[in-house]
Amino acid sequence: MCLGIPAKVISVDENKQGKIDYLGTRVKTNFVLLEDVKPEDWVIVHAGFAISKLNEQEAKETLELIREYTEFSENIKEQR
Amino acid sequence: MRELRNKNVIKGLLSDIRERAPSLPGPLKIMEVCGTHTMVIHRYGLKKMLSRAGISMLSGPGCPVCITPNEIHEAAIDLITENENFILTTFGDMTRVPTSKGSIQTTVPKKGSQVKIVYSPFDALNIAKKNPKKDVVFFGVGFETTIPSIAVTVKYAVQNHLNNFSLLSALWLIPPPLKTIVESKDNRIQGFLYPGHVSAIIGEKPFQFIPEHYSIPGAITGFEPGDILMSLLSIQNQIINSNPIVDNTYNRVVRPNGNPSAVAVMAEMFQKKDSHWRGLGYITGSGLKLKHEYKDFDSEYKYKMKIEAHSHDLPGCRCGDVLQGKILPSECPLFSKGCTPDSPQGPCMVSYEGACLASFKYGDKD
Ligand code: SF4
Repeated sequence: MCLGIPAKVISVDENKQGKIDYLGTRVKTNFVLLEDVKPEDWVIVHAGFAISKLNEQEAKETLELIREYTEFSENIKEQR
Repeated sequence: MRELRNKNVIKGLLSDIRERAPSLPGPLKIMEVCGTHTMVIHRYGLKKMLSRAGISMLSGPGCPVCITPNEIHEAAIDLITENENFILTTFGDMTRVPTSKGSIQTTVPKKGSQVKIVYSPFDALNIAKKNPKKDVVFFGVGFETTIPSIAVTVKYAVQNHLNNFSLLSALWLIPPPLKTIVESKDNRIQGFLYPGHVSAIIGEKPFQFIPEHYSIPGAITGFEPGDILMSLLSIQNQIINSNPIVDNTYNRVVRPNGNPSAVAVMAEMFQKKDSHWRGLGYITGSGLKLKHEYKDFDSEYKYKMKIEAHSHDLPGCRCGDVLQGKILPSECPLFSKGCTPDSPQGPCMVSYEGACLASFKYGDKD
């Protein structure tokens, strides 16, 4: 039920109605719950509403952290 | 973020978790609060791998279809079987929950009445616009993730005088039952994976009481296998360092203070009430109802519905115990015998996020 999909914003009109691209399909989405949102932003969509914006900087940091963890465990294995 | 499902990444994180296990009192009992996490954990086979790495995962009350008690499902059935010219709209899973009166899907509506499945609460509103001569009830179920969208929908109906639209609410707040769980006598939970999309709305603060008052660690978690494993590593570290906090490993989506506009529209439309949860009983301030000024859009008020708590689950269904982590789904006598996804005997086997359905599809034991 709390499933949310990450999707790219295609368009938003002045009433905050618009479309997202989800796996190549354009889906109508309501953006009234977001303060500022524009085409090309990535958002999380749940039940037809965009509920949060993805933060690219944080996304990159998560990936870096993941890489560190994985390398760290690779190193441990090599030391054995 | 495909890397978060990469096999080597999963392996790497799991081996880190295994490395830490000897310095911990094991096996650790960690509750994944959210039903979507339950699904991810099962689908990627993490449950078994984690149990070998010293972590035992327990499902929590985070499936809204499952925790909605029978009396509300039955009240929705009564609406269409007792009234003509009604359209009952709701999310798909809700129509298949079995009750002593059948399910929404199997009952025969009265003349001119019908059931329509919707994907968004806004779809229900559009149905009301297109059918001005019918009464349209949206049977809305959900946690904080869904409630703001429902609030916006009702607000729109109020502003546009769509008087044939109303909301039958089954709306639940996540922090109150967590308090019930940690305070219960036989609680054994040593850490929480907090629901990522509920947190996207409410932020980190509503969970702070758990480390502060109960010294239980936890992490706000995203929905990729890598997210789940990173949060578990964080919980292990919190235990090792005796420093329980609410860590946010899903900060690419969850801001520390959540989504303030969404919280504001919830507060504008709804007020808290004490609600009855399947399996958990009455919990103070755990549910929402429309504020008095919007009562004409509240189906319960509008149709003088009497929804009284009872515990008439279907004979033999142990969904209530499953939701509290007291038994594994496979310990229910009906599991995979009388109760299967094709012929579910309780909501935990119906919902996509139900623990029984996840266990049926992927197994819950080693
Ligand atoms: S297996 Fe079926 S009958 Fe048993 S608890 Fe789960 S939903 Fe209920």
